[in-house]
Amino acid sequence: MKPFTSSTYIFKCLALLTAAMLSGCEGIFNGVYDEPQSETRSTTDGHLYINASGWLEWHYIDLKAVAERVSAYPDFDTSSLWQTIEIPTIETLEESAEKNNEKAGIYFYWYDVFGNGISKQEYMGFTPTKSQPEPEYWTFAVHRNNVRTNGCMVAETDFTSLSQLPEDSDWVSALVFTPDEWNQTDVWTVQDRMLNGIIGSQGIYINRVLSGWLKMVIPPMPPVFEINSHVFILKLPDGTFAALQLEDYMNSSGSKCCLSINYKYPL
Amino acid sequence: MKTHRLHIFLLLLGLYTHSFAQYSCTTDTCEWDVLNLDEVVITGTRVPKLLKDTPVQTTLLTSKDIERSDATDIQGLLQSELPGVEFSYAMNQQVHLNFGGFGGQSILFLIDGERMAGETLDDVDFSRIDMNNIDRIEIVRGASSALYGSNAGGGVINIITKGASKKCDLDLDVRFGRHADRRYMLSVGSNFTHIQNSFSVTASRMSNYSVHNAPGAEAAVVSTIFGHKTLNVREKLVWKPFDGLKLSGRGGFYMRELPREIEAPDRYRAYNGGVKGEWKIGTEDYLELSYSFDQYDKSQYNGLSGLDIRNYSNVQNSVRTLYNHSFINGSILTAGADYMHDYLMNTKLAGTKKAQDCADLFMQVDWMGSNKWEVVGALRYDYFSDGRMSRVTPKISARYKPVVNLNIRAAYGMGFRAPTLKEKYYEFDMAGIWIVRGNPDLKPETGHNINFSADYTVRQYNITATAYYNHIKNKITTGLPYYLPDTTTQLYLNYENLADYNSCGVEITAQAAWRNGISAKLSYAFTYEKNVRNKEDKEANNQFMPARPHSLTARVGWDKSFSENYSITIDLNGRFLSAVFNKEYVDFYDLSKGTVIIKYPGYTLWKLSVSQKIFGKVRLTIALDNLFNYRPRYYYLNAPLTDGINLLVGASVTI
Repeated sequence: MKPFTSSTYIFKCLALLTAAMLSGCEGIFNGVYDEPQSETRSTTDGHLYINASGWLEWHYIDLKAVAERVSAYPDFDTSSLWQTIEIPTIETLEESAEKNNEKAGIYFYWYDVFGNGISKQEYMGFTPTKSQPEPEYWTFAVHRNNVRTNGCMVAETDFTSLSQLPEDSDWVSALVFTPDEWNQTDVWTVQDRMLNGIIGSQGIYINRVLSGWLKMVIPPMPPVFEINSHVFILKLPDGTFAALQLEDYMNSSGSKCCLSINYKYPL
Repeated sequence: MKTHRLHIFLLLLGLYTHSFAQYSCTTDTCEWDVLNLDEVVITGTRVPKLLKDTPVQTTLLTSKDIERSDATDIQGLLQSELPGVEFSYAMNQQVHLNFGGFGGQSILFLIDGERMAGETLDDVDFSRIDMNNIDRIEIVRGASSALYGSNAGGGVINIITKGASKKCDLDLDVRFGRHADRRYMLSVGSNFTHIQNSFSVTASRMSNYSVHNAPGAEAAVVSTIFGHKTLNVREKLVWKPFDGLKLSGRGGFYMRELPREIEAPDRYRAYNGGVKGEWKIGTEDYLELSYSFDQYDKSQYNGLSGLDIRNYSNVQNSVRTLYNHSFINGSILTAGADYMHDYLMNTKLAGTKKAQDCADLFMQVDWMGSNKWEVVGALRYDYFSDGRMSRVTPKISARYKPVVNLNIRAAYGMGFRAPTLKEKYYEFDMAGIWIVRGNPDLKPETGHNINFSADYTVRQYNITATAYYNHIKNKITTGLPYYLPDTTTQLYLNYENLADYNSCGVEITAQAAWRNGISAKLSYAFTYEKNVRNKEDKEANNQFMPARPHSLTARVGWDKSFSENYSITIDLNGRFLSAVFNKEYVDFYDLSKGTVIIKYPGYTLWKLSVSQKIFGKVRLTIALDNLFNYRPRYYYLNAPLTDGINLLVGASVTI
C-alpha cells in the first residue's frame, strides 16, 4: 500500500478539478432540454402550421385547394399553401369603399395596459390606408390571435378532438353560426407608440368566434395567451363544412402565435 | 505571546464552528453573546475574526435571527433585518435589489464564498438561496472589490450554509399560507469523528393571484402576482483525514417553475458542485484550494407540445486558492488567486454564445498595531480576457478601540464592476418596443467608497452608527432610446456608461437583550442618491427604482423557556419605507417633452409570530404577516406584493 502523504491528496484533488473543469465548460445535463425545431414546418393531411407572429401580415389558406392537393398527393405539404399578404399601413388620400362608416385604415387607440387592461381603451386617431389585399381563393386567414374568413360563418363545439366528431354531418345544422364582423381594436398592427399604450389596429372584418381559439390577456404585462382547444366548425359559402382546432400556439423557441392547426375538410 | 498565537490558530479552526461563542466572555461582557458580538465572521477580511473585533464593519444575521424573523425567503429576511434594503420588480416581476443606492449588480452575493452564476436584470436568482440551509449571513457594506473583484462595489452578502452539528439529526418542517402557499423541508445530518454529512431538500409552491389597482395609476403597475414551484436540493460532505486537513465536497440542484403562462411556464435550473481543501500548516499558516462549478439555465416549457427549450445558460468554473500566514504580533498576511471560466449562452446575444476567462491576484496585510489599533490594507489585480480588460483595486480599513466596548472603524475602498457579456453583446427585439443593443466598448464601472462606523456596547445594549459616501464613475446601464437617422419607426436602446454621480447615507442601529428574554432592535437608514445623468448631461433613463431616502426596521421579541419541555418565542417585526420620487421621461418617443416626477408612496408592514417549542423537538409556529392588512392603492413596481393579512402556520420536528 502506498504510504499516505499530503501531496498525494493535493495531487488527486488537482487531477479531479482539472477533469471536472474540462468536462463542464459549456454546462452539464444538456440532454434535459429539447432542441428547437425548424421554423419552417411541413405538415401532412389534417394539419397546418403557420408562424403568424408578425404584426403586419395576414396569412391566407384555401381549404379546398388543400383538400384537392392532398387527394392527388397524399404526402403533400399542406402548410405550403399559405399565402402571406402585408397589411397596408401607408397613409393614402384615396377614399376607400365605405360601408356603415367602416373605413379601411389604421385606428389608433390608447389601451389601459398597465391598469384595467385592454378592455379599457380610448380612440386617439385614424390613418386611412388601402383596403386589405386578398388572394383570389381563400377560406380563412390568420393574423397573430385573430382570424377572418372569406364569407364563412363559425360555431364553437364542445368537442376537444376532431376524432370525436360524429360520422354524419347532420348535427352541424343545430349549431349557431356567427359571421365576421367589423373590428378596429383587435388586429394590432402598428406598434411604434406601444410604450405609451398607443397601438394602431387595422379596421377589418374578423370572426370573433373563431378568434376565440387564442385569447391575448392583458393584464398581466407582458401579455399571456389563453388557448381554447375546442373544435370550431366553419360553414363555407357553398354550404360545405370544415372543422378547425388550434392544437398549439407556440413554436419550439417559445414564440407566440405560431399556430399548429388540426383541420378536417370537408366534413 | 504564545497564547496570542494560539488564539489566532483557534480562530482559523473555528471557521465553521461556533466554538468561540464564549470567547472572552467575562463578567462584564457575557451579555454580548445574545448580541452575536462573539460570533466569528470571515467575509470582511477573508480571515476569521470575532464580530466585535473585525476591522471591517460587518452585519451578522445568525440562524437564530433568521428563525425569529420568520422569513421564508432571502428578500423577506434582508428587508426585515436591514434598513435601506428594498426589493422591487421589473414588469414581468423579475426581482431587483436596491441596497443603500446600489443595485443587485453591485452587491456581490456569495454562497459559502462562491459566486452564483446567472442573472436576470442584473440580479442573481434570489430563490436559489434556501432559507432552511442557512447557518448565518455576513453583510459587508462598502466597496470590497479589493478582496472580491467585480460586482462588489457596494458590498458583499455572504451566505454561510449549515453543516452537520450533531452525531445524527433529522429535521422536518412544513409551512402553509394563503394562495396555496406550501413549503416542505427535510434535512438529515450526521457528524462523526472524521466525516460530516448534511443533506437537505426543500420544496415549495404558491399559486398565481390577482390584485386590484385603483384608477389613475401614474406608472406601470402589477396586476397578477405570479406563484411558483421550487425545489432545492443540497448535499455537503466533509472529511477530516487528520488534524489540520479538511476536505469537503458539495453538490446541489435547484429548479423553479414560474407560471406566467399556464401552458408555457418559465423554468429556471441550477446545478452546482465543488470541492475544497483546507490545510492548517502548523500554527501559523493556512492554505485553501477550491474548485467550484455553477450552472444556471433558463428555459420555457411548452405544455402543449411537451418541448422544454433552453434559451439561457451561464456556466462558471472557478478555481481559488487562499493563503494566510499569522505573525507573532497577531498580524496576518493573506494572499490569493482565482481563475474563472465564464460561459454564456443566451438567445438574445449576437452570436448566441460567448465565453471569457477571468483571473485575479490579491494580497492583504492585516497589521495589528496594538490592542487598540488594527489596520488592513488590500490590493487586487483583475484581468478579463474579453476585451483584455484589467483593473487594480485597493482598500484600506482601520479599527481603533479606545476603550474595551467601543470600536471606531474607517475604510476607503475602490469598487468596480466589469461589463458583463450580456451588456457587451446583447442584440434583441424587446417585444417590439425597442431593439436592445450591447456595447463592446463599455468601460468598467468604478467607485470610490469612504466608510466610517462606530459601535458601542455596554452591558446588554449596543449601538452602531455608520456613514458612507460613494463616488461612482461610468455606471453601466441602458441609455436613452433613440431612432436611427431619418427613421421614426424603430427605437433602439444601447448599453452605455453614465456620467459620474454621488450617493451617501447614514445608518444607525440600536439593540438590546435582557436576561428576562426580551430583546429589541431598531435600525434607521438614510440614503441620498443623486439623479444620474448620461455623458451628454441628459437625465438618464433609470431602469430601476431609486433608493427610498428613509427606511426603518424594528423588532421586539420575548423568548421564554418555562421548562425543558416548553418554551415560547414571540416576535413583532416591522419596517417602514418612505415615499420616493423618481424623474421619468414623459414620452420615450419624443424626449424633448422632458421629464415628470412620479411619487411612489411609502408604506409600513408588520409581522407577528408566535413559536412554541415542545419537548425540545417539536416547534409550532403561527405568524400573521402584514398584520395591519396593508393593501397598496397601486401595485407599482416597488410596492409590496401583498393583498392583505396572511396567516402562516408551520410545524417542525427535530429528531
